[in-house]
Amino acid sequence: MEINTSEQSGVKIVALSGEVDLSTSPQVRNALLDCILGGSSVVVDLSQVAYIDSSGIASLVEAFQSAKSRGQGFALANIGQTPMRVLQLARLDKVFVIHDAVDDAVAALG
Amino acid sequence: MSKQLDLLAQMGRDFAASQDIEPIMTRALARIACLVEAEGGALFLLNSAEDSLICHASYGPVDIMGLSVPSDQGIVGRSLAHNVCEMVRDVSLDDSFHNNLDQQSGFSTKSILCAPMVVRGRTGAEERIGAIELVNKTDVHGLFSVNDLKFLEVLAASAGLAIHNARMAVELAEKEVMRRELERAAEIQRGLLPPPGDGNFPISGVNRPARVVSGDFFDHFLLYDGRIAFTLADVSGKGMNAALLMAKSASLFRCLGKEDLRPGRLLQRINAEVCETSMRGMFVTMVAGVYDPESGRVVLANAGHEPPLLHKPDGTFVALPAGAPPVGIPIELTGGGPIPEDVLFLDGGCLYIFTDGVTEGYISGQDELGTDGLKAMIMDGLREKRSAADRIERVAECLSKSEEPLRDDVTILVIDDAANALTRCATLADRSREDQKPDKPIVGSLCKLSLPARAQSLILVRRAVEASANLSGFSKEQTQDIVLAVDEACQNVVRHAYKGELDGDMIVEIRREHGNYIILIRDFAPPVDESKIKPRDLNDVRPGGLGIHFIREVMDSMNYLSPPDGQGNLLRLKKAIL
Repeated sequence: MEINTSEQSGVKIVALSGEVDLSTSPQVRNALLDCILGGSSVVVDLSQVAYIDSSGIASLVEAFQSAKSRGQGFALANIGQTPMRVLQLARLDKVFVIHDAVDDAVAALG
Repeated sequence: MSKQLDLLAQMGRDFAASQDIEPIMTRALARIACLVEAEGGALFLLNSAEDSLICHASYGPVDIMGLSVPSDQGIVGRSLAHNVCEMVRDVSLDDSFHNNLDQQSGFSTKSILCAPMVVRGRTGAEERIGAIELVNKTDVHGLFSVNDLKFLEVLAASAGLAIHNARMAVELAEKEVMRRELERAAEIQRGLLPPPGDGNFPISGVNRPARVVSGDFFDHFLLYDGRIAFTLADVSGKGMNAALLMAKSASLFRCLGKEDLRPGRLLQRINAEVCETSMRGMFVTMVAGVYDPESGRVVLANAGHEPPLLHKPDGTFVALPAGAPPVGIPIELTGGGPIPEDVLFLDGGCLYIFTDGVTEGYISGQDELGTDGLKAMIMDGLREKRSAADRIERVAECLSKSEEPLRDDVTILVIDDAANALTRCATLADRSREDQKPDKPIVGSLCKLSLPARAQSLILVRRAVEASANLSGFSKEQTQDIVLAVDEACQNVVRHAYKGELDGDMIVEIRREHGNYIILIRDFAPPVDESKIKPRDLNDVRPGGLGIHFIREVMDSMNYLSPPDGQGNLLRLKKAIL
């Protein structure tokens, strides 16, 4: 799994790729919380995520709640079929803010 | 004369009072010597090899306790050999007298009185016990009288009988101890047999030992997936040695059988174990198998045993001969490979497995039941609408009817598929049969992974599940779901069962059975409290607690089974292959 963090119009874009599972989700959690505690709104690019499990979803939920409580934006973008299926199974597809493209998400948050 | 009678009575009382005859012999000898006024005396007993006379009691100035003389030598040897009393007034004139002892001890033997102790045993044959010898009369003449000799003869006969009786009593007591030990062994043996199941259980057995202990056994137990492992075996011989080998083989079956080996390989392993600790010349004929109530399918391996009989619902019998020599034949001779397996479908019929004690058992006089007789009894039982358990009980009953003890242990095991065939879903059975064709997908275990219970192991599990689900015909989306569910179940083992402990291990087995894709996850952590496993409320948005929900959502069923040896947890996930 890889995590690439970039910035666009003051919004942090965290791009995940590979498999987010029990062994890699702590890194995702740390990366997301770092951005949020740094005061940024965050867009998570999930286009390259081949697999995500409940621990990965839990990291996203925790980051989302943290951003919300601090009045910062948090959105998911470019979700592939596999992570979308897991979000649906968890009934979280209606809870997260989800955009088709990263640019749309940045525009909405910025 | 009354003194002599008193002594006789006293001796009788002494011998009757105790089984420890050594001190009584010493006391009796002293009394006899005093009464006859002898200077010394000795009581010799013939050893069990009957080649030596050993001194068990000694009286007088020289203690010769323990002295051993060849049984064919000396005056004492001659007296016993010819069963006659001897009176030697001057030993120097008797060639049989050896004066070695006198030379060693400084004692001077002048005259000897010797009486043999001989009794008639149970068979009527003479049994030589030993002899009593007295030396040197102490009265003024220094000569023994004919009366002394007569008296010693009476006393020796009486002492001989008492010693004989005391020995018999000890022998009897030993036999009684042996008998009780044997009873206890038989009790343990009966405990090795499975308890009779309720009326609905498809397997029943009967075992009647010919003696107290048995060289036969049968066993059966449920496997975690509902199949039933069974065995029936006959150890060569029927004494204690056979019973011990029976106990060993039965334990090996129970222990190794729970690892869910195939019957042919299970017998191979039992054979290897039995051969490793050689019991020379002893072997076990053994049938082992697995019965699947869901399909009526039986996988059977037969090592040198009497052919089991498949009784088909159409009334015909099929004999299933052994595919290999018995267990216990040295591996150097047999190669020690797996025992060939037969696969058969009971289709509502019965499978009878039995020892030769059944077919070679007498029904009346010298008439053996024979295989035909057994078949006839089975048919009779069916006509009389008896249950399978009742049918085999009747066969055992009929063989035990004779006044004579059983010729050999009688043991029968029956698998009755009738009830299961009725409840069985026809399509499932057909599918299972389809699965047997060579070009059809694998049935049974697809793969088994043994892994450290660590987060890093999960990717290996996911790859195996992905490939096997794909192979089993699931769509890409279904496969992804199953991968997620299994991953979540394994995460629970890593995080909750082992609570983050780093050296835990788990076994993940992927199986395909009767149109179902099955995952078995075994761990060795403390038992999980099932009541605490609940999916969380999804309206409550928070991290964690989603795993169980995913599993329930994706799989058709999720349940905990009892692990084979009662240790750890065994979770079974199932999804139908549609």
